[in-house]
Amino acid sequence: MNLLVCIKQVPDTETKIKLNGDSTGIDPAGIKWIVSPYDEFAIEEALRIKEKNAGSTVTVLSAGPDRVVDALRTALAMGADNAVHVELPESADSFMAAKALAGAIKKEAPAELIFFGKEAIDDGAAQVPQLVAGFLGLPGCTVVCGLEYGSGTVTAKREIEGGSFEKVELPLPAVIAAHKGLNEPRYATLPNIMKAKKKEVKAVKLADIGVSQADQKIKLKNLQLPPPKQAGKKIEGDAATQAKTLVDFLRNEAKVI
Amino acid sequence: MTWETLAFLLVAGTAFGISGYKFSLLYKVMRAQTGKAPTFKDWGARIGQLFINVLGQKAVLQSRWVGTAHTMIFWGFIVITIGTLEQFAMTLYSGASFEFIGESAYYALIWSQDFFTLLVLVGVLMAAARRYLNPPKYLGQSSDANFVLIFTGSLMVSIFLMNAFHSLGNPWFKEAFFISSGIGNGIASLGFTEEQSHTGFTVFKWIHMLLVLGFAVFIPGSKHLHIIAAGPNTVLKHLPLERGMKSINFEDETVTQYGAAKITDFSWKDALDLYSCTECGRCESLCPAWNTGKPLSPKSLIVDMKKNLHANKAAIIAGKSEEVTPLIDANVTEDVIWACTSCRACEVACPVFIGHTDKIYDARRNLMMMESKFPAEVQPVFKNMETNGTPWAFSASDRANWAQGSDVKTLADIGSATELDAVLWVGCAGSYDDRNKSVLKSFVNVLHKAQIKFAILGTEEQCTGDAARRIGNEYLFQTLAKMNIETLNRYQVKRIITACPHCFNTLKNEYKDFGGDYEVIHHSTYLAKLIAEGRIKPAKEMKETVTFHDSCYLGRWNGIYDAPRTTLGAVKGVNLVEMKQNKETGLCCGAGGGRMWMEETIGDRINVKRTEQAIETGASVVATSCPFCMTMISDGVKTKDKVDAMRVMDIAEIVDQTT
Ligand code: SF4
Ligand code: SF4
Repeated sequence: MNLLVCIKQVPDTETKIKLNGDSTGIDPAGIKWIVSPYDEFAIEEALRIKEKNAGSTVTVLSAGPDRVVDALRTALAMGADNAVHVELPESADSFMAAKALAGAIKKEAPAELIFFGKEAIDDGAAQVPQLVAGFLGLPGCTVVCGLEYGSGTVTAKREIEGGSFEKVELPLPAVIAAHKGLNEPRYATLPNIMKAKKKEVKAVKLADIGVSQADQKIKLKNLQLPPPKQAGKKIEGDAATQAKTLVDFLRNEAKVI
Repeated sequence: MTWETLAFLLVAGTAFGISGYKFSLLYKVMRAQTGKAPTFKDWGARIGQLFINVLGQKAVLQSRWVGTAHTMIFWGFIVITIGTLEQFAMTLYSGASFEFIGESAYYALIWSQDFFTLLVLVGVLMAAARRYLNPPKYLGQSSDANFVLIFTGSLMVSIFLMNAFHSLGNPWFKEAFFISSGIGNGIASLGFTEEQSHTGFTVFKWIHMLLVLGFAVFIPGSKHLHIIAAGPNTVLKHLPLERGMKSINFEDETVTQYGAAKITDFSWKDALDLYSCTECGRCESLCPAWNTGKPLSPKSLIVDMKKNLHANKAAIIAGKSEEVTPLIDANVTEDVIWACTSCRACEVACPVFIGHTDKIYDARRNLMMMESKFPAEVQPVFKNMETNGTPWAFSASDRANWAQGSDVKTLADIGSATELDAVLWVGCAGSYDDRNKSVLKSFVNVLHKAQIKFAILGTEEQCTGDAARRIGNEYLFQTLAKMNIETLNRYQVKRIITACPHCFNTLKNEYKDFGGDYEVIHHSTYLAKLIAEGRIKPAKEMKETVTFHDSCYLGRWNGIYDAPRTTLGAVKGVNLVEMKQNKETGLCCGAGGGRMWMEETIGDRINVKRTEQAIETGASVVATSCPFCMTMISDGVKTKDKVDAMRVMDIAEIVDQTT
């Protein structure tokens, strides 16, 4: 079985985000980068299928600047066999990233399953898996928290509004966007970490797959940080006074009523 | 050749043949161990160990009653063996005798046989009284032990009877055998003929010799193997108390196994440890895991590992390592391995100096790095350490926020540590945990009052990696250690003070292996020194009853018991009381060995048990000197609903409030 996993490198969840000089993006200085947590579910699921099906290979792809090679190495250390780095500028949007990934996927041997995380935790756009499925003309399923494999099909359990679930059957090949609950991602063993350091990472240039700057549909003009959180306010007094103060606050300060 | 000589040759030949064969197997198994043994230096001190702890029985005597019994038996046997050798010689050749040493010396030898036989007999009775009348729980049932007591007792009785018959009709021996001749008088009153007396002597001599030879066959397969192994094990023990974990060289590409997956992955010294265990249970009696209902008993761990070694004997000797069964089995389970708090109470109590913790760490290293099997809740902790340099989920850039408004400089501000008295190592708890942040602020206040020139690394400091190392993630530990050492060396840091015993131990004892050599001082020692030098005076009265909780990494790992007590004792009004377990036998708070980051799902909670001991003292303040102890005991006080009656304070806070 040929299994592909597309991952994104994102700032660690604890990072204090700063904006760059002209407020068109974030300042990458001092950021600790990690594999987006939902993508770890994707890698883990692919590895588990591989372990159950002898002769399978897992290839990870990541589109982004050179730093994303570290994320690919993390995936290799978890047990992926091959890695592909798709060159992509820092400013790229979901459309451009999806087109680049789809281009790179077409260059790989045909895959039965292509995994993604349901969204990257940096921009939280949750668009790339569906766009890639579209570019490739494949069926896809998002927010997947359970998978069962049949012959030629896969049944995905996905979370829908209100905490309910639905089951979707897809013919293979298919695109799956993983959600929490699908599995518990492993921690790489040391021999695998060592091996991963030495593995080759294949580089794909944008020109090779017919993607250009013109594919970037969204340009960020003026990013703003959210206002700093203010300390909570405790409303004191008897019930009547408290209600009065609260209404006053909601009307005059928060301006919501 | 007499029938006696012939019979002796036959029996002794068989017995020593079997015994020798068994010992040769034990030796081969030991030599086939593949793990790297430590190098042994400092032979002067090792000879010292021979006198102090082997011949002097110091560690054994830590338990008064049974230690005394053991010492009597031990010394008795050494002396009696000389007589037994003579007996063997005489049986082989009837003219043989040790008389050549001179008459008075020979007289002393004969006299001593009687004296030490009595000593051993009394020792055996004392040990039996303890084992059967009022046995401590940790002793357990042991058929080996029953056998040894009956055996040794019978051996002594046979010696007395043999000597008694010997003394009949022989005035010189009658005088020298000053005890058994009394028994001889009793026998004489039965009216034996000279010939009958001689037969009596021969009968008991043979009973004695057969018992000795039987014992020789029994020893190698029993817990009594310690009489051979414990001596060398004591001489080869790890000498200084302070000890870091042994490092793995990841650059060495010939190493493909990290930690111990099989019993053979340990070193020959570990095998000697296993051979040395006497199953006395002292380790178990103090183990916080065992005493709160966890599956780990350090004694059972050693006994079970020895069983594993014996069960795999054939494969080990044949060099078929692939046939050796895994270390983790039905007895030594993963739960056993993860239950350890690395408090080291077991090692400090062990009379034969077995190193339990290294074995547990080696098992963890394999589970963690080779098999990626560890309590799931630890994974985010590792990830935080990897990305943010702290086990907590906080940003590395917030590390120095605690110091805002405290007038603390960073090394980045001043460029180098050369003009400073010391660098303050804050640690992750001091940086991010609210309760411990205020401890750090108090300590900083004290440093200001004493006009100490110090600085912190600020956001350049990272977790020392203590927990990663104890959990078995040596790779992550070394990554963090190397980054910290690079930073410290870049600022030419020579002296470090820290309020965290885990950071203290790691920086002091473990960073050396990676090029970080610093004078590291724990704040308890530093506070005691500042008070002694008169740089601070805790003159404000604090009318409280205070009990001090020993941190394992300060006490048992580094021998610091007095400094925090001296500091507390210097505070006016403080009435210092001890918990029933204190200093060497102090009970761990439950957070060491990376347990801080694991759920405690089996048995009772260790921190609650320790808090109960603190409550028993009637103290109004529990003083701690470790951020993890602070967290654990505070939790315990909340669980016991004693928040109003008992405060948990770091010694730095007490000093800050009273200066
Ligand atoms: S170090 Fe402490 S917890 Fe671990 S086995 Fe020894 S006594 Fe028990
Ligand atoms: S390990 Fe040491 S303390 Fe524990 S039972 Fe064996 S000899 Fe006794």
